[in-house]
Amino acid sequence: MNAIADKYAEDGVASVFLYTNEAHPAERFPHLTSMEQKFRHAAALRDELGVSRPILVDALDGACHRAYGSMPNMTWIFNRAGQSIYKSDWTDANSVDNALQYYLDISRRRKDRETLAPFTVQRLDYRNADRLAFFNGLTRNGRQAVDDFIKAFGPPPSAFRWDAKDSADDPD
Amino acid sequence: MNSELLHQYNYDEFVPEKFMPWMRFDESPALGLAAPDFPLWRLEEDRAQSSLGEWWSNNLYLVVEFGSFT
Repeated sequence: MNAIADKYAEDGVASVFLYTNEAHPAERFPHLTSMEQKFRHAAALRDELGVSRPILVDALDGACHRAYGSMPNMTWIFNRAGQSIYKSDWTDANSVDNALQYYLDISRRRKDRETLAPFTVQRLDYRNADRLAFFNGLTRNGRQAVDDFIKAFGPPPSAFRWDAKDSADDPD
Repeated sequence: MNSELLHQYNYDEFVPEKFMPWMRFDESPALGLAAPDFPLWRLEEDRAQSSLGEWWSNNLYLVVEFGSFT
């Protein structure tokens, strides 16, 4: 998503990351109890995971996140008038890229004085679902995140190996 | 703030009875309408208060990814 942000920055498209609750709390990143802690976790997202977009931190009770459906990794696109024009219950860079190309074309057609009327379309998009990569990502959070996920959704791929050193440093 | 809400929203383990109640995408705002706006705080710039509205009103389009470290 950082690459998408860079790709469209010159076209008047701003991209931000909105920090929510912890989806998979564990030893390194436990559930949130204060805004100080929430800012620390957001800084780790920037520094360790390399999110280069501006990071906006939601209130501790997730007022904004909850109002938009509180999914753990969704993406929304808004126009300048403050209308939501795209919403996706999961973030996928290809889907967002495709949507932005479409909306920038709409802007060009408006500039050419074409008369346009909105309509609603529903579409099923597809994302990469690499279960091994997902489990490897969970190890960054701590052992609890892996164990909780296995209890909820079953065992990891056979190639998965727990590496304890990934969770050695606790920012809290 | 409502302490019960804080506790439930910031659940302490990823178990269905704690995370499933928050999967409410089907109840999220409809597209094409005025979107709800909220105060937010910037990680950079001394945690200055901002809002979604401040961002969408200053740009042709605004992409917002929701998420966390975990």
